[in-house]
Amino acid sequence: MYEEPYRWVEAVGNRRQYLDDQFKQGSPVVALTYEGGILLTTVSKGTPKLYEIYDRLALGGMGHPTDLEKLRFSLLEMAHVEGFNRSPADVTGSRLVKYGIAPVIKQAFEEVYKAPFIVRILVAELGLKPEKDALLTINYDGTFEETTGCAVLAAAPAIQTKMLAYLKEQQPVTLSLEQALNLALRGWAIGSMAQQQAEADQETEAKSAATGVGSSAPAIPSNDTLIAHVRGLAGERTIECAVLERQAPGTSKYRSLKQAELSQLLPKVLQSVVAD
Amino acid sequence: MGMQGDFYQLLKEQGYTLGSSGQAGTGHALTNATTILAFKYRDGVLVAGDRRATAGNMVMYDRTDKVLEIDRHSVMAIAGVPATAYEMVRILEHSFKYYRRTQLQELSFDGKLRAVSKLLKENVPAALAGTGAVVPVFAGYDMDQGSAKIYFYDILGAEFEGVEYAVSGSGSPTIRGILHYLNTWGEQPLNALPQEQAMVQALRLLASAAEFDSATGGVNREASLYPVIKLITGAGVQTVLDATLKPLYESQVVRYV
Repeated sequence: MYEEPYRWVEAVGNRRQYLDDQFKQGSPVVALTYEGGILLTTVSKGTPKLYEIYDRLALGGMGHPTDLEKLRFSLLEMAHVEGFNRSPADVTGSRLVKYGIAPVIKQAFEEVYKAPFIVRILVAELGLKPEKDALLTINYDGTFEETTGCAVLAAAPAIQTKMLAYLKEQQPVTLSLEQALNLALRGWAIGSMAQQQAEADQETEAKSAATGVGSSAPAIPSNDTLIAHVRGLAGERTIECAVLERQAPGTSKYRSLKQAELSQLLPKVLQSVVAD
Repeated sequence: MGMQGDFYQLLKEQGYTLGSSGQAGTGHALTNATTILAFKYRDGVLVAGDRRATAGNMVMYDRTDKVLEIDRHSVMAIAGVPATAYEMVRILEHSFKYYRRTQLQELSFDGKLRAVSKLLKENVPAALAGTGAVVPVFAGYDMDQGSAKIYFYDILGAEFEGVEYAVSGSGSPTIRGILHYLNTWGEQPLNALPQEQAMVQALRLLASAAEFDSATGGVNREASLYPVIKLITGAGVQTVLDATLKPLYESQVVRYV
């Protein structure tokens, strides 16, 4: 039935709707460059969402764990074979994304008979010099974006825009790791609260539609409110942090922050949560 | 399928073969001109090697690094055909990383030993043909057991634990005898030596090997060429700087008495 072009367009449209629905409960991912490298943060439920891909590459993901795992393996495989056959310096995030997984994700998305990948992916690449740091995000349809400074994954494009706007406004030229973590968590909270808001809006939509009153965009919450939001969720979730450190000894620059170190870096109100 | 985290398997699926499969039995005498040694000292294990590479009786290169760091907690010292040895080290390096990243845990020390053994076994045809023999010493710190370990291999891939020490290469028979003597009747057993004395012993052992084996390079002070010495402890692999070796060599190795 999808042979006819307009049917195919319709099917792809349905897919978008289906996929957008799948991310509603997901946890946003925030990546920020700081003075020592790149920080990745999320507040995950259950399975971890931050991974090491290669010497200077890290991955953050949202979506279905199985799909994420499958794509993580493809990235690992490509990176390692390339690094062995050529050299570690030739393994770049940009190539892995543009010629590696983005086409695979796009194809799966457009083959309407088969299941698409339910994932949004963020690849962080630590350059040899700070100006070579790169952040790439890939959407479930295979579209990718390359940025510097900060990048996020969120449930919907509107929320993503909101988070990025906040981060860009708050991000000074140089951040210490502690400051970066604090900002990343606030950015995460912006995303998480926007997600909750969007769901609440949907529920009240039926009622408000009748009266014609939409929810007006609320002002940006204070830092304390944002951190309190993270604290509120911290009981059932885990604050996950990983860094790509430029000065790390050896060739592998990825390091996942352990509880002890994390509790030192976190804002005071969150320290007790991690220590437990 | 890379699912089991085996990088070498993945390479093979992509059509990779280690070395050339020469015809067994047609080779000439196996040469492994080098001296490498490893012994346990007070804090961990010391691994050292001279820096000479030879082709027949010609000195090809005097700055070879034969003690190669594979990951934060293990090194492989190589004797034998450099091309194959370096390739093996590259495969191991990538294999351990790949395992850690796919499985989200470090490959066990025994797993690392098996990986070395497997590569040597794959290399048997080339080794027997005389084009790819590698006789390595693998040393590392077993984080699970909290102890340093040394293993040596034959060209067919059999692994043997060097409980106190292990040696390999053409200069090794000389120093194997010295190591035995020192460890049995020395002032203190090797595994009680503090770090600095362990380094002095390593320098003296390699100087002795160079004295009796033309294929082992000695120290060239004019060119600042000292052996490569690496120390492996619970904190990881540490390469001893030439700046540290120079005074030790001058005060305790050259005309010491």
